Amino acid sequence: MEGTLNVLGYGLATLGPGIGLGILIGKAVESMARQPEAAGMVRTTMFIGIAVVEALALLAFVLAFAL
Amino acid sequence: MLPTILAATNGDEFQLLPDESELIWGLVAFLLLLAAMYKLVFPKANQALEDRAAVIEGKMEEAEAKLNEAETTKADFEARIADARGEANRIIDEAKSTAESLRADIIARAEEEARGIVERAQSEISAERDRALQDLRTEVGALSVELASKIVERELDASTHQGLVDDYIQRLSRTN
Amino acid sequence: MTRVIAAAEWGGEFDGALDPIIDLFRFPPLWEIELLGVDLSINRTILIAWVMTLLAGLLMFMAFRQPKIVPGKLQAFGETIVDFVRQIILDIIGPKGLKFLPLLTTMFIFIFFMNVAKITPFMMMPPTSRMAWPLFLALISWLVYVGVGMKEQGAFTYFKDMVVIPGVPKAILPFLGLIELVSNLILRPFTLAVRLFANMVAGHILVVITLVTIHVFLPSPTGFPVGIFGLIASPVVFAFELFIIGLQAYIFVMLTAVYIDSSMEPAH
Repeated sequence: MEGTLNVLGYGLATLGPGIGLGILIGKAVESMARQPEAAGMVRTTMFIGIAVVEALALLAFVLAFAL
Repeated sequence: MLPTILAATNGDEFQLLPDESELIWGLVAFLLLLAAMYKLVFPKANQALEDRAAVIEGKMEEAEAKLNEAETTKADFEARIADARGEANRIIDEAKSTAESLRADIIARAEEEARGIVERAQSEISAERDRALQDLRTEVGALSVELASKIVERELDASTHQGLVDDYIQRLSRTN
Repeated sequence: MTRVIAAAEWGGEFDGALDPIIDLFRFPPLWEIELLGVDLSINRTILIAWVMTLLAGLLMFMAFRQPKIVPGKLQAFGETIVDFVRQIILDIIGPKGLKFLPLLTTMFIFIFFMNVAKITPFMMMPPTSRMAWPLFLALISWLVYVGVGMKEQGAFTYFKDMVVIPGVPKAILPFLGLIELVSNLILRPFTLAVRLFANMVAGHILVVITLVTIHVFLPSPTGFPVGIFGLIASPVVFAFELFIIGLQAYIFVMLTAVYIDSSMEPAH
């Protein structure tokens, strides 16, 4: 077996953002369903939140190759 | 961290640091596209939007003018219809009143005529009766005189007893 | 480029084990050019990108060549794209952000066409899966939103508000300020670039593996069911990639708009 532990680390590092994204998008969909007139605002805020949460996964992606 | 990334790019590892030539050529391509969009595409796109907005506005104004025109025409027609209806009512009323007065007139005339006829008839009747009475009276007088003279031939001469008979008949007619 | 991948992308013989996946993203220069010590070599990625850029520019130019009141098919298509980006801007920045419409529209179609090269026959390689392309796009986005922040709020206020966040206790201000600074100036363009890059890398690997599967297993006498499965799966994979392509272009443009918006308004 060849390979590096980095890949494993990346796999672990995606867990947190994955759960976070799930909760985030789920809540966003919930609030969109509750208040469809505010859907645009919720969607924008959701994407900003996704960008922040995803940053962690992306950092891990980079570090998996870099370190 | 940075040195590791730098080192990684030299070896057989995954290339995370950008390729210099790609960076430059990509930038050139993007900036050319941006310049083309700014110079060639967006003025025309905005022009098209403005034109369309102008056309739509013109159409809407036109439609509004048409609507106003239609409104005034409709109001005009409605007024005219109201006028015509009033006219018709007036004509009907007039006709009714004319007919009424005509009727009253005719009735009055007919009544008058009837009354005239009745009066004439009555006067004729009464005249007839008078004449008949007169006739009868003379007749009765003559007859009575004749009768009386036949009965009492001698004693009574016609002229003296004529007064007597007249008197009698006068009384008779009064009681009649 | 190794034999397997060459076989997958151009057709040909397959022999030997699967090569390192890194080779998918390694392109030797076709013409070596060097000017004043700057490497200006042209490789396959650059050629693909040029063709796609030309295509994008031509499409938009043809769409708005003779704009009509009642749009034709091509003009309607171009207007749909512009209106899409305009709607993003209006939703996020508001009417005062419309001056960024040309920039963001260009970004959108540029990224979209770069990404679409991933599933375009004879190219099958998104330039955005090489770090340089997302990086300079993110760099432009960074320059724009920092520039807007400095222009709208003044350079000093912009950076001061970024570090000294109003309404935060003094004790945690150094940490928070540092985090904000790093987040705004380094992490934002970095994640912007890496998000696009990582998605394209993953997508490219997925597409290539699907094609290699078909190519390798379909002619084999024992493994052809796998090949048939790959054949059936490939349209699904392509459709999914098309979705990812559009989504990533949308997210890139939208986040750029969000960052511009956050630079325009004084912090909280």
